[in-house]
Amino acid sequence: MNKPIIMPEVLAPAGSLDKLKVAILYGANAVYVGGQKFGLRTAAENFTLDELREGMSFAHERGAKVYVVLNSFLHDKDLAELPDFVRFLEDVGADAVIVSDLGVVQSVRELSKIPIHISTQASALNVHSAHLWKKAGASRIVLGREVSVKEAGKIKREAGIEIEMFIHGSMCMAYSGHCVISNFTQGRDSNRGGCAHSCRFEYSLEGLDTLEKKKAYFMSSKDLEGLRVLPSFIEEEIDSLKIEGRMKSHLYAGTMAKVYSEALKFYAEHGHFLSDDLLKWEEELGKVSHRTYTQASLVDKAGADSIFNERENSSEGEWQMVGPVIEANPKAGIVLEVRNAFNQGDELEILPFIGDVIKVHASEIMDLSMKALTRTKPSTLVRIPYVEGVKSMQLIRQKVKA
Amino acid sequence: MKLTSYARTLHELNILKDQGYTEIILEPKSLSRFGKLSQEEFITLSNRSKELGLRVLLEWDILMTEDIFLTKINDIKGLVPFADALRVQDPGALHWSIVNTDKPLQFIAENGNHNLKALQGWIDLAEEKLERLILSIELSNTAIAEYVQKLSVPCELLGFGRILLFYTPRPLLSALVPEKVAHNQELAALGESEESPHKGFPLVENQHGTFMFHIKEFCLVEFAAELKEMGLAYFRIDQRWESPSKLSEISQLVKEFDRPAFETLKQDYSQDLMRGFYHVNKTDVLFAKLKNSRLQKREGDYVGEVLEVEKGSHLAILVKNPQGLKTTDLLKILHPKGAIFETKIYSLKNLSLEDVSSVPAGEVAMIQFVGGVWVKSQVFYQHELS
Repeated sequence: MNKPIIMPEVLAPAGSLDKLKVAILYGANAVYVGGQKFGLRTAAENFTLDELREGMSFAHERGAKVYVVLNSFLHDKDLAELPDFVRFLEDVGADAVIVSDLGVVQSVRELSKIPIHISTQASALNVHSAHLWKKAGASRIVLGREVSVKEAGKIKREAGIEIEMFIHGSMCMAYSGHCVISNFTQGRDSNRGGCAHSCRFEYSLEGLDTLEKKKAYFMSSKDLEGLRVLPSFIEEEIDSLKIEGRMKSHLYAGTMAKVYSEALKFYAEHGHFLSDDLLKWEEELGKVSHRTYTQASLVDKAGADSIFNERENSSEGEWQMVGPVIEANPKAGIVLEVRNAFNQGDELEILPFIGDVIKVHASEIMDLSMKALTRTKPSTLVRIPYVEGVKSMQLIRQKVKA
Repeated sequence: MKLTSYARTLHELNILKDQGYTEIILEPKSLSRFGKLSQEEFITLSNRSKELGLRVLLEWDILMTEDIFLTKINDIKGLVPFADALRVQDPGALHWSIVNTDKPLQFIAENGNHNLKALQGWIDLAEEKLERLILSIELSNTAIAEYVQKLSVPCELLGFGRILLFYTPRPLLSALVPEKVAHNQELAALGESEESPHKGFPLVENQHGTFMFHIKEFCLVEFAAELKEMGLAYFRIDQRWESPSKLSEISQLVKEFDRPAFETLKQDYSQDLMRGFYHVNKTDVLFAKLKNSRLQKREGDYVGEVLEVEKGSHLAILVKNPQGLKTTDLLKILHPKGAIFETKIYSLKNLSLEDVSSVPAGEVAMIQFVGGVWVKSQVFYQHELS
């Protein structure tokens, strides 16, 4: 008898309650979120307690899980504030917490029965490390991004612990948790959410070449993209595929959740990825703003070709979010919140929760008072003609004009 | 308080012996981030150290993915008999050492581990095999004082040496000069960025990856007596990138502080010196400025967010509270710049422009225009108008 295929979960980032809903509606099996403290994205919107409660309900009603990040390296005073939050998380049904600090692991164990996932920030990289974290009380390890899928499979089998791996998104160049540039040069603790992204700066390097200085963004990594590695993840029975990016847009959260969940669904149905759809999924991943993609260390160790070495604002991505659908019905039309302006006559694409993109010609635009517009402006609500099948919270995008 | 340091030559070994050291850190090239010693050199220095009465600490501080870990097992097994204790940083190396050796262990907890619970946790996990914890230099003096008193094993702290800022396994320097680089050749450079006021970050690439250091070196020499008083067991001096003569000078100053001699050392030293966060660590105080707290205020009687303001016509509010919005509600609106507006609802429509008595959560409510309100203003229920 053939061994049943065990599909990994698609774990999407949710920097806000809206993004949580978007990610789940577009197919994520789980999301990871941060409260107002204890995470590594201090500048993100993050969740209030009410929003966490609502987010858990929204996810659980749809069979999705919510993991809450507590992955700062906490100082004693931070740790003292943790118990109330942990008890709250247990009350509202958090499916796991993501932790990098052993003090936090121990606190969570003392205070609750919430499963503990060891954050990539702890740079767990090998079987013996997994054994130790398991002994400390972890049920899952988010491996460091330096680990290959093959190594990850071995770690899972030999340590007997759930394994989560990053499949997509921005990457630290340093071993995660092992970079303190921000701490010592800008007074912002990168391991408590204050990373200033100094690795993305251009540096002048002296000493390598006796004739001249070299200028390079030499510490800036390309972005991870693991679509074509999916068969290996499945073969190695990796439990969860994580998409980086709680600070990123609704369009990013929705597109990533949709592409990876549709790809996995295809594999579950067909047992392979031999399909023209692979090119379609890759095209979709290319439509979201990103640095040049790399498979980094998923297959072989990341080498010189994994360095981005370009200025940040040169990120690739020819498409931009026009806005989310706020409401859609025959009477109101499609009401959307304009994030990036578009004009009458433009070709728009609506990303449905499942299936192919819906192309829309913006033949008519009206403001909320039904006044006709020829062009829109950001931070307004506008109506375009109703199209069957379009739903609230779906995302509308447009090719960036030259 | 004892001194500890590294040695790579017999000459350095003798300096340490002369300065009264009782132990020495030896770094095998294949196991240590900045190691220079072959297996044979390690064994030679280890044997000589023992003759001199010095305890040998084997530093195995690289981080290792599984494949690399497996290639190191033979190396470590071959050297363990020549060491008195192992110093590790990768939790995997710690676990391997607990399971596979009887040697005492020292855990390098310099990365994070800024709370007592975490530090004691490593001691507990190591099942009584841990003989020392190496603390983070991001700790303040009050934290150090508390930890050395409360932890059940002796502690060590870097007292003088380079501050490692960044560690990656990727080869970042050789990537820039591939035509000039032989395999596994060590490279060094200085880096500076126009986006940072700091100039001259030392960079090293070797077989283990690429490392960046702070432009200044860490120095707690003038607080050595204070650290001793606290109960710190080991004060580490790292002079691996300087001449051995400086090692003697610094060791002397730690044992007996002399202000003029210290000032001379500072003047002559190749790098500026800093005490880091020794007096206070406030690396979280800037976080409050990273976002607008008025946009974040969403607890309590939160209704939703203003999505559109059409002057003279309406405000469009995305209702997020499960209670929805009703014509009888009083509202308080918090402007992103802090101004507060209060209003009754005089007009309530849905997006189909129908007059309604309530709008449920998840939909947009159109109420009358309120002067001064901007998009992204946050809306709250108000119990009575002031």
